[in-house]
Amino acid sequence: MAGKNKKLGMKAKIFLGQSVLDIILFLLAAVMVVPFIYVIMVSFTDGTVYEAGKLILWPEKWSLEAYELVLSGSGFGNALKATLFITLIGTPMNVLFNAGLAYMLSKKNLPGRTIINKLVMFTMLFGAGMIPNYINMSDLGLLNTWWASILPGACGAYTVMVMRSFFEGLPAELEEAAKIDGCSTIRIFGIIVLPLSKAMLATFTLFAAVSYWNTYFSAVMYLTRTDMYPLQVYLQKIVLSANISDVIDMSSDLINTVPTEIMKMATVVVAVVPILCVYPFLQKHFAKGVMVGAVKG
Amino acid sequence: MSKKRGSVVVASKKSLTKRIYEYRWIYLLGIPGMLILFFFSYLPMKGLLMAFQDFNPHLGISGSTWVGFKHFAKLFTDAKFYSMLKNTLTISFLSLLTFPAPIILALLLNEVRAQGYKKVIQTSIYLPHFISWPIVASLAFLLLSKEQGVINKIIESLGGEAHAFLFDKAWTYPIIVIENLWKGVGWGSIVYLAAISGVDQDLYEAARIDGANKLQQMIKITLPCIAPTVVVMLILKMGSIISVDFEQIFLLSNAMNRSQTEVFEIYIYNYGIASGSTQYSYTTAIGMFKSVVNTSLVIFTNWIVNRLGYNGVL
Repeated sequence: MAGKNKKLGMKAKIFLGQSVLDIILFLLAAVMVVPFIYVIMVSFTDGTVYEAGKLILWPEKWSLEAYELVLSGSGFGNALKATLFITLIGTPMNVLFNAGLAYMLSKKNLPGRTIINKLVMFTMLFGAGMIPNYINMSDLGLLNTWWASILPGACGAYTVMVMRSFFEGLPAELEEAAKIDGCSTIRIFGIIVLPLSKAMLATFTLFAAVSYWNTYFSAVMYLTRTDMYPLQVYLQKIVLSANISDVIDMSSDLINTVPTEIMKMATVVVAVVPILCVYPFLQKHFAKGVMVGAVKG
Repeated sequence: MSKKRGSVVVASKKSLTKRIYEYRWIYLLGIPGMLILFFFSYLPMKGLLMAFQDFNPHLGISGSTWVGFKHFAKLFTDAKFYSMLKNTLTISFLSLLTFPAPIILALLLNEVRAQGYKKVIQTSIYLPHFISWPIVASLAFLLLSKEQGVINKIIESLGGEAHAFLFDKAWTYPIIVIENLWKGVGWGSIVYLAAISGVDQDLYEAARIDGANKLQQMIKITLPCIAPTVVVMLILKMGSIISVDFEQIFLLSNAMNRSQTEVFEIYIYNYGIASGSTQYSYTTAIGMFKSVVNTSLVIFTNWIVNRLGYNGVL
């Protein structure tokens, strides 16, 4: 009897411990998510409710005016165009260039493999620094172009290394069989290697897309024409500016009725929504250790 | 065996040009990536020569006058340099204090029974990693600003007084640490979760039979088993002690906290590019100093990791 009681007490203790753990983790997760929820809620709130100074947890009165205002500004249109250009051109370039170089380096008998490998790795160890990069961009004639934000990120040593060890793990028999059947190297790469690497490529595509979407400092540094600034720069200028009409040229008279704070929040939401949309697809792949297990190389 | 050796000999007998010709299409696949690295990682290195010149953009590197180590000599006597070094190291050491956070988080996550719940938690805590620094800075502003920040609203509704956190020197470093934790703790836990999942389950079984409770199992089994990963991560972190997340600091810095947020890159950007000044050479020298120290530290720490026999851990 006493033994049974003890066992029950133990169970209660475990249950309690488990609950405390669950609550701690819930609170932590809430800290990560609540800022977004708050900003989203306020961005949909009617201006008059907001100005009453109440703490907003749920829009008492919904309004899309802030979004109308944000999306109608020509500044926003330009910024979105810049970000879309950088992301849509940069992402496929990044994935193809990295995969191509990684595939090349995965060939054990390739003449010059060791030295090229070392040269690729060295770029991870040492960078010339901001001013030499700037002068280089200027020499290449890429200042005030979006290419200055795309090209330097189109190939990265870390990604090449991870992809290389992935390609090295693919069964060599398939490629050899295709070769005997008379397939050209480019075709083997296109119809055998890439399809076999779909999950890995999907992950890196999303990583590249997120990082191009988040382009910020390269634009600040290499662009002087403000109408070419991507979304992140535009967002930051809007949020941190005291007088919002300095930054955006607005023809709409909504600017007088919508509080600037709500506008700022709507801008944040617009800049963050694409990330929130692709994120679930990204998250699927973390657990597979794509990023962690492959660092070995 | 002998057959294999024979074929190797045949392969090496082929001339180098012939072997390169055989691989021509494979090289073609690698060329775009190599060109990118050449143009944007190697070509800029010639600009390092500016650090040894009084560089004049109109004359270029070939036309500017050489001054030897003048700029480096100036660097080590510049009070500003020591203040930048101090700021960088302070921020790095503060972020080192948060080093155990992802380990603790991974240990906690590992104990969650319900897989669905675990998934939801993981999805939430990895998210901030993908949020850009401009958005983090915007969120910080919207939460902390004196007039409209929600934190200040809460403080006021509790009878307190609104405070301009972002413009208060005393709050600069705490905000940097909080932002780092918020953005990085979840993502940082992944590597430890992977290490934990590699721990031999028989060890737990044996401990359970011996009557060890969950906490004892965590301390006596999980922690020692992931210790090599912890050591490697710590050493690697030491290797980046002279680098801070520049975008984060850049977005946080304002006129009020300049004395605490002015790290190397901020100075380089402000005096090398933003002001349109002619300090190219001096700022290049600062950047070169940072790069060289950084590279040495990374090589040194990697050497230690290998020396300890931990290179297979990650």
